[in-house]
Amino acid sequence: METRNITLEVLRYRPEEDDKPFFQTYENIPCDPDWVVLDALNYVKDEMDRSLSFRWSCHMFVCGSCGMVVDGEPKLSCKAFLKDYGDKIRVEPLANFPIERDLVVVIDDFVEKLESVKPYLIPKEEKTVDQGEYLQTPTQLKTFKQYSMCINCLLCYSICPQYGLADEFVGPAALALAHRYNADSRDVGRKAREDVVASHDGIWECSFVGACSQVCPKDVDPAGAIQQTKITSAIDYVTSFIPGVKS
Amino acid sequence: MSRKPYVREMSKTSWFLSQARYRDYILHELTCIFIAIYALIWIFGLFRLGQGPEAWQGWLDGISSPLGVVFHIFLLFFAAVHTFSWFKVVPQAMRIQRGTDFVPGNIIVGAHYGILAVVTLFVLVLAGAA
Amino acid sequence: MARSSKAVPWLVFAGGGTATAFILPVIVIITACYAFFGGFSAALSYETMHGFIGHWLIKLIVFGIMFLTLWHAAHRLRVVAHDFGIRADTPVAIVVYGLAAIGTLATIIALLNI
Repeated sequence: METRNITLEVLRYRPEEDDKPFFQTYENIPCDPDWVVLDALNYVKDEMDRSLSFRWSCHMFVCGSCGMVVDGEPKLSCKAFLKDYGDKIRVEPLANFPIERDLVVVIDDFVEKLESVKPYLIPKEEKTVDQGEYLQTPTQLKTFKQYSMCINCLLCYSICPQYGLADEFVGPAALALAHRYNADSRDVGRKAREDVVASHDGIWECSFVGACSQVCPKDVDPAGAIQQTKITSAIDYVTSFIPGVKS
Repeated sequence: MSRKPYVREMSKTSWFLSQARYRDYILHELTCIFIAIYALIWIFGLFRLGQGPEAWQGWLDGISSPLGVVFHIFLLFFAAVHTFSWFKVVPQAMRIQRGTDFVPGNIIVGAHYGILAVVTLFVLVLAGAA
Repeated sequence: MARSSKAVPWLVFAGGGTATAFILPVIVIITACYAFFGGFSAALSYETMHGFIGHWLIKLIVFGIMFLTLWHAAHRLRVVAHDFGIRADTPVAIVVYGLAAIGTLATIIALLNI
Protein backbone atom coordinates (compact mmCIF):
# COMPACT_ATOMS: atom_id res chain seq x y z
CA MET A 1 0.00 0.00 0.00
CA GLU A 2 1.18 3.50 -0.85
CA THR A 3 2.31 5.34 2.31
CA ARG A 4 1.75 9.01 2.89
CA ASN A 5 4.18 11.22 4.79
CA ILE A 6 2.51 13.16 7.55
CA THR A 7 3.80 15.81 9.94
CA LEU A 8 2.47 15.90 13.50
CA GLU A 9 2.72 18.99 15.66
CA VAL A 10 2.22 17.67 19.17
CA LEU A 11 1.78 19.82 22.27
CA ARG A 12 4.30 18.48 24.74
CA TYR A 13 4.68 19.03 28.44
CA ARG A 14 7.21 17.17 30.55
CA PRO A 15 6.61 18.30 34.14
CA GLU A 16 10.10 17.48 35.36
CA GLU A 17 11.83 19.70 32.79
CA ASP A 18 9.26 22.09 31.26
CA ASP A 19 7.65 25.15 32.81
CA LYS A 20 5.04 25.30 30.11
CA PRO A 21 3.86 23.25 27.12
CA PHE A 22 5.48 23.65 23.68
CA PHE A 23 4.82 22.22 20.23
CA GLN A 24 7.17 19.52 19.00
CA THR A 25 7.13 18.66 15.30
CA TYR A 26 7.54 15.10 14.06
CA GLU A 27 8.13 15.09 10.31
CA ASN A 28 7.97 12.41 7.63
CA ILE A 29 5.85 9.91 9.51
CA PRO A 30 5.15 7.17 6.92
CA CYS A 31 1.44 6.47 7.26
CA ASP A 32 -0.82 3.91 5.63
CA PRO A 33 -3.76 5.59 3.86
CA ASP A 34 -6.27 4.00 6.23
CA TRP A 35 -4.49 5.04 9.42
CA VAL A 36 -5.98 7.19 12.14
CA VAL A 37 -4.17 9.89 14.14
CA LEU A 38 -3.61 7.37 16.95
CA ASP A 39 -1.68 5.09 14.54
CA ALA A 40 0.59 7.99 13.59
CA LEU A 41 1.17 8.76 17.30
CA ASN A 42 2.00 5.11 17.94
CA TYR A 43 4.47 5.19 15.05
CA VAL A 44 6.15 8.23 16.62
CA LYS A 45 6.33 6.50 19.99
CA ASP A 46 7.64 3.22 18.57
CA GLU A 47 10.11 4.58 16.00
CA MET A 48 10.93 8.23 16.72
CA ASP A 49 10.43 9.37 20.31
CA ARG A 50 9.74 6.97 23.14
CA SER A 51 9.21 9.79 25.63
CA LEU A 52 5.88 10.87 24.07
CA SER A 53 2.96 10.10 26.40
CA PHE A 54 -0.69 9.58 25.49
CA ARG A 55 -3.58 7.40 26.62
CA TRP A 56 -5.20 4.78 24.45
CA SER A 57 -6.56 1.30 24.73
CA CYS A 58 -9.16 -0.21 22.43
CA HIS A 59 -8.47 1.53 19.10
CA MET A 60 -12.15 1.06 18.18
CA PHE A 61 -14.21 3.97 19.67
CA VAL A 62 -15.30 1.99 22.71
CA CYS A 63 -12.95 2.66 25.62
CA GLY A 64 -12.99 6.46 25.48
CA SER A 65 -9.38 6.94 26.57
CA CYS A 66 -7.73 8.46 23.46
CA GLY A 67 -9.58 11.78 23.38
CA MET A 68 -7.40 14.64 22.07
CA VAL A 69 -7.79 17.93 20.28
CA VAL A 70 -6.96 17.32 16.61
CA ASP A 71 -6.64 20.44 14.48
CA GLY A 72 -8.64 22.38 17.06
CA GLU A 73 -11.50 19.88 17.37
CA PRO A 74 -11.88 17.36 20.21
CA LYS A 75 -11.71 13.87 18.70
CA LEU A 76 -11.14 10.27 19.61
CA SER A 77 -7.74 9.91 17.96
CA CYS A 78 -8.70 6.34 16.98
CA LYS A 79 -11.64 7.79 15.04
CA ALA A 80 -9.75 10.67 13.41
CA PHE A 81 -8.86 9.23 10.01
CA LEU A 82 -5.81 10.71 8.33
CA LYS A 83 -7.64 10.85 4.98
CA ASP A 84 -9.80 13.60 6.48
CA TYR A 85 -6.78 15.76 7.33
CA GLY A 86 -3.98 17.60 5.55
CA ASP A 87 -0.35 16.58 5.63
CA LYS A 88 0.30 18.61 8.78
CA ILE A 89 -1.85 17.81 11.80
CA ARG A 90 -1.81 19.57 15.14
CA VAL A 91 -2.48 17.38 18.17
CA GLU A 92 -3.14 18.83 21.64
CA PRO A 93 -4.40 17.42 24.93
CA LEU A 94 -8.11 17.89 25.72
CA ALA A 95 -8.88 21.50 26.61
CA ASN A 96 -10.30 22.57 30.01
CA PHE A 97 -8.32 19.92 31.91
CA PRO A 98 -4.87 20.32 33.51
CA ILE A 99 -2.09 18.60 31.57
CA GLU A 100 -0.44 15.76 33.48
CA ARG A 101 2.13 15.06 30.75
CA ASP A 102 2.09 15.58 26.98
CA LEU A 103 -1.35 14.46 25.75
CA VAL A 104 -2.40 13.02 29.11
CA VAL A 105 -4.79 15.18 31.13
CA VAL A 106 -5.89 15.11 34.79
CA ILE A 107 -9.50 13.92 34.92
CA ASP A 108 -10.04 13.66 38.70
CA ASP A 109 -12.50 16.55 38.60
CA PHE A 110 -14.73 14.73 36.13
CA VAL A 111 -14.59 11.45 38.04
CA GLU A 112 -15.73 13.19 41.23
CA LYS A 113 -18.61 14.83 39.37
CA LEU A 114 -19.60 11.58 37.75
CA GLU A 115 -19.81 9.96 41.19
CA SER A 116 -21.80 12.88 42.56
CA VAL A 117 -24.75 12.29 40.20
CA LYS A 118 -25.16 8.66 41.31
CA PRO A 119 -24.83 7.12 37.84
CA TYR A 120 -26.26 3.75 38.72
CA LEU A 121 -29.69 2.17 38.99
CA ILE A 122 -31.54 3.03 42.19
CA PRO A 123 -34.48 0.61 42.18
CA LYS A 124 -37.66 1.00 44.22
CA GLU A 125 -36.79 -2.17 46.09
CA GLU A 126 -33.59 -4.15 45.93
CA LYS A 127 -34.03 -7.63 44.50
CA THR A 128 -31.86 -10.63 45.08
CA VAL A 129 -30.73 -12.63 42.06
CA ASP A 130 -33.31 -15.29 42.98
CA GLN A 131 -36.11 -12.77 42.82
CA GLY A 132 -35.33 -12.18 39.16
CA GLU A 133 -34.70 -9.26 36.83
CA TYR A 134 -36.06 -5.74 36.75
CA LEU A 135 -38.25 -6.02 33.66
CA GLN A 136 -38.49 -3.35 31.00
CA THR A 137 -40.20 -3.06 27.63
CA PRO A 138 -38.34 -2.12 24.42
CA THR A 139 -40.22 1.19 24.46
CA GLN A 140 -39.01 1.97 27.98
CA LEU A 141 -35.47 1.02 26.96
CA LYS A 142 -35.58 3.31 23.93
CA THR A 143 -36.41 6.33 26.12
CA PHE A 144 -32.93 6.44 27.67
CA LYS A 145 -30.79 4.18 25.46
CA GLN A 146 -29.16 7.03 23.58
CA TYR A 147 -27.89 8.54 26.85
CA SER A 148 -26.43 5.24 27.98
CA MET A 149 -23.94 5.18 25.09
CA CYS A 150 -21.52 7.58 26.83
CA ILE A 151 -17.94 6.27 27.08
CA ASN A 152 -16.66 9.11 29.32
CA CYS A 153 -14.18 10.23 26.68
CA LEU A 154 -14.57 13.87 27.84
CA LEU A 155 -14.65 15.41 24.37
CA CYS A 156 -17.79 17.23 25.55
CA TYR A 157 -15.95 18.79 28.52
CA SER A 158 -13.14 19.85 26.22
CA ILE A 159 -15.49 21.81 23.94
CA CYS A 160 -17.87 23.14 26.63
CA PRO A 161 -17.17 26.85 27.22
CA GLN A 162 -19.22 26.90 30.41
CA TYR A 163 -16.98 24.22 31.92
CA GLY A 164 -13.96 26.16 30.69
CA LEU A 165 -15.28 29.36 32.26
CA ALA A 166 -16.33 27.82 35.58
CA ASP A 167 -15.13 24.33 36.43
CA GLU A 168 -17.68 24.02 39.24
CA PHE A 169 -20.10 23.15 36.43
CA VAL A 170 -21.05 19.47 36.72
CA GLY A 171 -20.75 19.28 32.94
CA PRO A 172 -22.28 17.53 29.92
CA ALA A 173 -21.40 13.83 30.33
CA ALA A 174 -22.22 13.59 34.05
CA LEU A 175 -25.55 15.40 33.60
CA ALA A 176 -26.42 13.28 30.55
CA LEU A 177 -25.72 10.17 32.59
CA ALA A 178 -27.89 11.45 35.44
CA HIS A 179 -30.64 11.92 32.86
CA ARG A 180 -30.02 8.41 31.53
CA TYR A 181 -30.87 6.93 34.96
CA ASN A 182 -33.66 9.42 35.69
CA ALA A 183 -35.33 8.37 32.43
CA ASP A 184 -34.99 4.65 33.20
CA SER A 185 -38.33 3.06 34.12
CA ARG A 186 -36.58 0.80 36.67
CA ASP A 187 -35.06 3.73 38.54
CA VAL A 188 -36.51 5.87 41.34
CA GLY A 189 -33.36 7.86 42.14
CA ARG A 190 -34.31 11.15 40.48
CA LYS A 191 -34.88 12.93 43.78
CA ALA A 192 -31.58 11.67 45.17
CA ARG A 193 -29.74 13.06 42.14
CA GLU A 194 -31.66 16.33 42.03
CA ASP A 195 -29.62 18.07 44.76
CA VAL A 196 -26.57 17.98 42.50
CA VAL A 197 -28.29 17.94 39.10
CA ALA A 198 -30.65 20.88 39.77
CA SER A 199 -28.15 22.92 41.78
CA HIS A 200 -26.69 26.17 40.54
CA ASP A 201 -23.62 24.28 39.29
CA GLY A 202 -25.73 21.58 37.65
CA ILE A 203 -28.09 21.97 34.71
CA TRP A 204 -28.59 25.71 35.36
CA GLU A 205 -24.97 26.47 34.55
CA CYS A 206 -25.61 25.14 31.02
CA SER A 207 -26.52 27.86 28.51
CA PHE A 208 -27.18 25.41 25.66
CA VAL A 209 -24.22 26.23 23.47
CA GLY A 210 -24.81 22.72 22.14
CA ALA A 211 -21.15 22.10 21.26
CA CYS A 212 -21.02 18.96 23.43
CA SER A 213 -23.59 17.22 21.24
CA GLN A 214 -21.74 18.23 18.07
CA VAL A 215 -18.45 16.64 19.15
CA CYS A 216 -19.85 13.55 20.90
CA PRO A 217 -18.46 10.48 19.10
CA LYS A 218 -21.35 8.32 20.34
CA ASP A 219 -24.24 10.71 19.45
CA VAL A 220 -25.30 10.88 23.09
CA ASP A 221 -26.63 14.48 22.76
CA PRO A 222 -25.76 15.70 26.28
CA ALA A 223 -27.15 19.16 25.45
CA GLY A 224 -30.55 17.66 24.70
CA ALA A 225 -30.44 15.58 27.88
CA ILE A 226 -29.69 18.69 29.94
CA GLN A 227 -32.53 20.70 28.40
CA GLN A 228 -34.98 17.86 29.07
CA THR A 229 -33.75 17.72 32.65
CA LYS A 230 -34.25 21.50 32.94
CA ILE A 231 -37.88 21.16 31.90
CA THR A 232 -38.73 18.43 34.44
CA SER A 233 -36.66 20.05 37.21
CA ALA A 234 -38.18 23.48 36.64
CA ILE A 235 -41.71 22.08 36.76
CA ASP A 236 -40.77 20.18 39.94
CA TYR A 237 -39.35 23.30 41.51
CA VAL A 238 -42.40 25.43 40.77
CA THR A 239 -44.98 22.83 41.75
CA SER A 240 -43.15 22.21 45.05
CA PHE A 241 -44.54 25.58 46.18
CA ILE A 242 -48.11 24.53 45.50
CA PRO A 243 -49.65 23.19 48.72
CA GLY A 244 -50.58 19.54 48.49
CA VAL A 245 -48.11 18.74 45.70
CA LYS A 246 -45.21 16.61 46.88
CA SER A 247 -41.94 17.14 45.05
CA MET B 1 7.68 11.21 41.47
CA SER B 2 6.12 14.57 42.17
CA ARG B 3 3.33 15.83 39.99
CA LYS B 4 3.12 19.26 38.42
CA PRO B 5 -0.07 19.48 36.34
CA TYR B 6 -0.16 22.43 33.94
CA VAL B 7 -3.39 24.45 33.91
CA ARG B 8 -4.32 26.32 30.73
CA GLU B 9 -6.64 29.27 31.26
CA MET B 10 -9.42 29.95 28.81
CA SER B 11 -9.86 33.58 27.82
CA LYS B 12 -12.90 34.76 29.78
CA THR B 13 -13.56 37.65 27.42
CA SER B 14 -12.81 36.39 23.92
CA TRP B 15 -13.46 32.64 23.91
CA PHE B 16 -16.66 33.11 21.90
CA LEU B 17 -14.67 34.36 18.91
CA SER B 18 -12.41 31.31 18.78
CA GLN B 19 -14.72 28.87 16.99
CA ALA B 20 -17.53 29.16 14.45
CA ARG B 21 -19.96 27.29 16.73
CA TYR B 22 -19.22 29.70 19.59
CA ARG B 23 -19.77 32.66 17.25
CA ASP B 24 -23.15 31.23 16.21
CA TYR B 25 -24.03 30.80 19.87
CA ILE B 26 -23.08 34.31 20.93
CA LEU B 27 -24.91 35.73 17.88
CA HIS B 28 -28.20 34.13 18.96
CA GLU B 29 -27.61 35.10 22.60
CA LEU B 30 -27.15 38.73 21.54
CA THR B 31 -30.59 38.75 19.91
CA CYS B 32 -31.89 39.51 23.42
CA ILE B 33 -30.43 43.01 23.32
CA PHE B 34 -32.37 43.95 20.19
CA ILE B 35 -35.50 42.21 21.42
CA ALA B 36 -35.26 44.10 24.73
CA ILE B 37 -34.84 47.47 22.97
CA TYR B 38 -37.78 46.68 20.70
CA ALA B 39 -39.92 45.77 23.72
CA LEU B 40 -39.01 49.07 25.39
CA ILE B 41 -39.91 50.97 22.20
CA TRP B 42 -43.32 49.27 22.25
CA ILE B 43 -43.90 50.03 25.94
CA PHE B 44 -43.19 53.66 25.10
CA GLY B 45 -45.58 53.32 22.16
CA LEU B 46 -48.33 52.00 24.43
CA PHE B 47 -47.93 55.07 26.64
CA ARG B 48 -48.10 57.34 23.58
CA LEU B 49 -51.20 55.52 22.35
CA GLY B 50 -52.91 56.37 25.62
CA GLN B 51 -51.97 60.05 25.26
CA GLY B 52 -53.93 60.66 22.07
CA PRO B 53 -53.54 60.82 18.28
CA GLU B 54 -50.73 63.39 18.19
CA ALA B 55 -48.57 61.55 20.70
CA TRP B 56 -49.11 58.32 18.76
CA GLN B 57 -48.19 60.01 15.49
CA GLY B 58 -45.01 61.22 17.16
CA TRP B 59 -44.17 57.64 18.03
CA LEU B 60 -44.84 56.53 14.45
CA ASP B 61 -42.57 59.33 13.20
CA GLY B 62 -39.86 58.01 15.49
CA ILE B 63 -40.24 54.53 14.01
CA SER B 64 -39.77 55.88 10.48
CA SER B 65 -36.91 58.24 11.39
CA PRO B 66 -33.45 57.39 9.99
CA LEU B 67 -32.51 55.88 13.36
CA GLY B 68 -35.73 53.84 13.35
CA VAL B 69 -34.96 52.55 9.84
CA VAL B 70 -31.41 51.54 10.77
CA PHE B 71 -32.64 49.86 13.95
CA HIS B 72 -35.24 47.89 11.99
CA ILE B 73 -32.59 46.58 9.59
CA PHE B 74 -30.71 45.10 12.55
CA LEU B 75 -33.95 44.00 14.18
CA LEU B 76 -35.14 42.08 11.11
CA PHE B 77 -31.84 40.21 11.08
CA PHE B 78 -31.78 39.42 14.80
CA ALA B 79 -35.47 38.47 14.90
CA ALA B 80 -34.76 35.95 12.12
CA VAL B 81 -31.69 34.67 13.99
CA HIS B 82 -33.75 34.24 17.16
CA THR B 83 -36.55 32.31 15.49
CA PHE B 84 -34.17 30.17 13.43
CA SER B 85 -31.87 29.30 16.33
CA TRP B 86 -34.81 28.66 18.68
CA PHE B 87 -36.65 26.29 16.34
CA LYS B 88 -33.42 24.48 15.41
CA VAL B 89 -32.85 23.09 18.91
CA VAL B 90 -36.45 22.25 19.81
CA PRO B 91 -36.07 18.54 18.85
CA GLN B 92 -33.22 18.22 21.36
CA ALA B 93 -35.18 19.74 24.23
CA MET B 94 -38.51 18.14 23.34
CA ARG B 95 -38.34 14.56 22.14
CA ILE B 96 -41.60 12.93 21.13
CA GLN B 97 -41.52 9.16 21.50
CA ARG B 98 -43.95 6.91 19.65
CA GLY B 99 -43.36 3.34 20.81
CA THR B 100 -39.76 2.46 20.07
CA ASP B 101 -39.30 5.40 17.68
CA PHE B 102 -38.90 9.11 18.02
CA VAL B 103 -40.70 11.61 15.81
CA PRO B 104 -37.94 12.82 13.44
CA GLY B 105 -36.50 16.20 14.37
CA ASN B 106 -37.18 17.77 10.99
CA ILE B 107 -40.91 17.05 11.38
CA ILE B 108 -40.94 18.84 14.76
CA VAL B 109 -39.00 21.79 13.33
CA GLY B 110 -41.17 21.79 10.21
CA ALA B 111 -44.33 21.94 12.33
CA HIS B 112 -42.91 24.98 14.11
CA TYR B 113 -42.28 26.73 10.79
CA GLY B 114 -45.81 25.78 9.71
CA ILE B 115 -47.30 27.44 12.80
CA LEU B 116 -45.01 30.44 12.27
CA ALA B 117 -46.29 30.79 8.69
CA VAL B 118 -49.93 30.62 9.82
CA VAL B 119 -49.41 33.19 12.60
CA THR B 120 -47.46 35.51 10.31
CA LEU B 121 -49.94 35.32 7.43
CA PHE B 122 -52.93 35.73 9.76
CA VAL B 123 -51.53 38.89 11.33
CA LEU B 124 -50.38 40.30 7.98
CA VAL B 125 -53.81 39.75 6.39
CA LEU B 126 -55.51 41.24 9.44
CA ALA B 127 -53.20 44.28 9.37
CA GLY B 128 -53.48 44.63 5.60
CA ALA B 129 -57.29 44.62 5.73
CA ALA B 130 -57.41 47.34 8.37
CA MET C 1 -25.91 21.61 47.25
CA ALA C 2 -29.30 23.21 47.14
CA ARG C 3 -31.70 23.27 44.25
CA SER C 4 -31.32 26.48 42.32
CA SER C 5 -34.06 29.09 42.11
CA LYS C 6 -32.88 29.71 38.54
CA ALA C 7 -35.60 27.22 37.60
CA VAL C 8 -38.27 29.94 37.85
CA PRO C 9 -36.80 32.60 35.52
CA TRP C 10 -35.68 29.82 33.20
CA LEU C 11 -39.27 28.66 32.73
CA VAL C 12 -40.30 32.21 31.82
CA PHE C 13 -37.22 32.49 29.58
CA ALA C 14 -38.19 29.33 27.73
CA GLY C 15 -41.81 30.43 27.38
CA GLY C 16 -40.74 33.88 26.25
CA GLY C 17 -38.27 32.51 23.74
CA THR C 18 -40.98 30.35 22.23
CA ALA C 19 -43.56 33.13 22.16
CA THR C 20 -41.18 35.65 20.57
CA ALA C 21 -39.95 33.09 18.03
CA PHE C 22 -43.52 32.80 16.73
CA ILE C 23 -44.82 36.34 17.14
CA LEU C 24 -41.84 38.68 16.86
CA PRO C 25 -41.14 38.20 13.12
CA VAL C 26 -44.54 39.41 11.94
CA ILE C 27 -44.64 42.39 14.33
CA VAL C 28 -41.16 43.40 13.21
CA ILE C 29 -42.17 42.98 9.55
CA ILE C 30 -45.12 45.35 10.08
CA THR C 31 -43.19 48.11 11.86
CA ALA C 32 -40.26 47.64 9.46
CA CYS C 33 -42.60 48.09 6.47
CA TYR C 34 -43.89 51.27 8.09
CA ALA C 35 -40.36 52.47 8.81
CA PHE C 36 -39.08 51.72 5.30
CA PHE C 37 -41.97 52.89 3.07
CA GLY C 38 -44.97 53.76 5.22
CA GLY C 39 -46.58 50.34 4.79
CA PHE C 40 -49.49 49.24 7.01
CA SER C 41 -50.20 52.90 7.78
CA ALA C 42 -53.93 52.19 8.03
CA ALA C 43 -53.38 49.38 10.53
CA LEU C 44 -50.98 51.52 12.54
CA SER C 45 -53.26 54.59 12.50
CA TYR C 46 -54.36 55.95 15.85
CA GLU C 47 -58.01 54.96 15.37
CA THR C 48 -57.25 51.36 14.44
CA MET C 49 -54.56 50.80 17.07
CA HIS C 50 -56.53 52.50 19.83
CA GLY C 51 -59.64 50.50 19.00
CA PHE C 52 -57.66 47.27 18.71
CA ILE C 53 -55.50 47.49 21.81
CA GLY C 54 -58.38 49.12 23.68
CA HIS C 55 -60.17 45.76 23.84
CA TRP C 56 -59.58 44.04 27.18
CA LEU C 57 -58.76 40.69 25.60
CA ILE C 58 -56.10 42.25 23.35
CA LYS C 59 -54.73 44.12 26.37
CA LEU C 60 -54.39 40.83 28.17
CA ILE C 61 -52.60 39.25 25.19
CA VAL C 62 -50.30 42.27 24.76
CA PHE C 63 -49.47 42.11 28.46
CA GLY C 64 -48.72 38.39 28.24
CA ILE C 65 -46.41 38.80 25.25
CA MET C 66 -44.67 41.81 26.79
CA PHE C 67 -44.14 40.07 30.13
CA LEU C 68 -42.68 36.96 28.49
CA THR C 69 -40.51 38.98 26.10
CA LEU C 70 -39.05 41.20 28.83
CA TRP C 71 -38.21 38.31 31.14
CA HIS C 72 -36.87 36.25 28.27
CA ALA C 73 -34.50 39.06 27.28
CA ALA C 74 -33.54 39.73 30.91
CA HIS C 75 -32.64 36.13 31.60
CA ARG C 76 -30.63 35.81 28.41
CA LEU C 77 -28.83 39.05 29.25
CA ARG C 78 -27.85 37.49 32.58
CA VAL C 79 -26.36 34.53 30.71
CA VAL C 80 -24.59 36.81 28.22
CA ALA C 81 -23.00 38.74 31.10
CA HIS C 82 -21.66 35.45 32.42
CA ASP C 83 -20.43 34.51 28.94
CA PHE C 84 -18.60 37.82 28.67
CA GLY C 85 -16.70 37.09 31.86
CA ILE C 86 -18.82 39.07 34.34
CA ARG C 87 -18.96 36.64 37.22
CA ALA C 88 -21.00 38.74 39.68
CA ASP C 89 -24.13 36.71 38.94
CA THR C 90 -26.31 37.91 41.82
CA PRO C 91 -25.93 41.68 41.16
CA VAL C 92 -26.40 41.05 37.43
CA ALA C 93 -29.55 39.03 38.14
CA ILE C 94 -30.94 41.77 40.40
CA VAL C 95 -30.32 44.43 37.73
CA VAL C 96 -31.74 42.55 34.73
CA TYR C 97 -34.76 41.09 36.53
CA GLY C 98 -35.33 44.47 38.20
CA LEU C 99 -35.44 46.14 34.79
CA ALA C 100 -37.81 43.46 33.52
CA ALA C 101 -40.06 44.04 36.56
CA ILE C 102 -40.09 47.80 35.92
CA GLY C 103 -40.87 47.16 32.25
CA THR C 104 -43.70 44.81 33.22
CA LEU C 105 -45.15 47.42 35.59
CA ALA C 106 -44.83 50.14 32.94
CA THR C 107 -46.68 47.89 30.48
CA ILE C 108 -49.56 47.48 32.93
CA ILE C 109 -49.79 51.24 33.55
CA ALA C 110 -49.63 52.03 29.83
CA LEU C 111 -52.30 49.46 28.98
CA LEU C 112 -54.61 50.73 31.74
CA ASN C 113 -54.38 54.21 30.25
CA ILE C 114 -55.53 53.14 26.80
